[in-house]
Amino acid sequence: MTKPTTGGCQCGAVRYQIDGPFNNPHICHCRMCQKAFGNYFAALVGSLRDSFHWTKGAPGFFRSSSIVQRGFCRDCGTPLSFAYDHSKHIAVSIGSLDDPSAVTPERHYGIEARRPAFTLLHSLAGSRTEDDVPPEMMAKLKSRQHLDRD
Amino acid sequence: MVKITLMSEAASEGASGGCQCGAVRYRIVGSFGHAGICHCRMCQKAFGSWGAALVSLPVAGLAWTRGRPAEFRSSAIVARGFCRDCGTPLFMRQDGDANYEIAIGSLDDPNGIPPLDRQSGVESKCRWFDRMAALPRETTESYRSPEDMRKLKSLQHPDHDTEHWP
Repeated sequence: MTKPTTGGCQCGAVRYQIDGPFNNPHICHCRMCQKAFGNYFAALVGSLRDSFHWTKGAPGFFRSSSIVQRGFCRDCGTPLSFAYDHSKHIAVSIGSLDDPSAVTPERHYGIEARRPAFTLLHSLAGSRTEDDVPPEMMAKLKSRQHLDRD
Repeated sequence: MVKITLMSEAASEGASGGCQCGAVRYRIVGSFGHAGICHCRMCQKAFGSWGAALVSLPVAGLAWTRGRPAEFRSSAIVARGFCRDCGTPLFMRQDGDANYEIAIGSLDDPNGIPPLDRQSGVESKCRWFDRMAALPRETTESYRSPEDMRKLKSLQHPDHDTEHWP
């Protein structure tokens, strides 16, 4: 029995659970994923639809093409799911998992649209949040994000 | 520090962008400032992703040309804009900040920005992030049959302004 995996949107209005194993963790550079995620690329992991459940609230759906439906939270916007109409699988956005390091992408898709910046992202100079945000600001920053658990 | 040059001729003034479904569109009427990526857990959840890629822009430098974004206050001091109809994350803005941080992927030309110069929030960086470049790679055509590609009628707003949509 695989331990259930949980996730959801930023505000907590929509939560989900995956009761089975992951399938095809990947990142996708296609222009559809870029726009849907407002980002350079998307990070997604699949599971069988039968082992996937929305456990709180319900996502909004946008049909980004004639064969694909993308789920998101209407209250905070978090991109949540991606599924082909005909598929037995549904994919969730890795960033919406309560532990996004729990799965490791194994493949790039849509590399025809990969942005030139991609290969250099990991080499940019880095800083921690507390290096950039003064303590008095951190004190004011009361997070309203849902916790990383049910 | 690594400097990446991505500035295109279409940079800043005149650039446009919006959400996936096209309900919300904007036009850049000012100049972009600093660009970078953020791995913090707030950005990961808001973008449903490894983090966020953001470019700053004076609030007065952005004109909403179709619809208006919805906002979620992710903390006591930050608002995040998104499309209520398709979810695309569009911006974040700290209260009192003179700038938006625009979601780079929502620009019609995500290459048309100043050089990225920083990654922040590295305390939350996904363990796999730094090793992504080494993964096997495929083009969309290589895993979709020609029949699939014909069936795949995109309903995404095009990467330019439209008079009427859809």
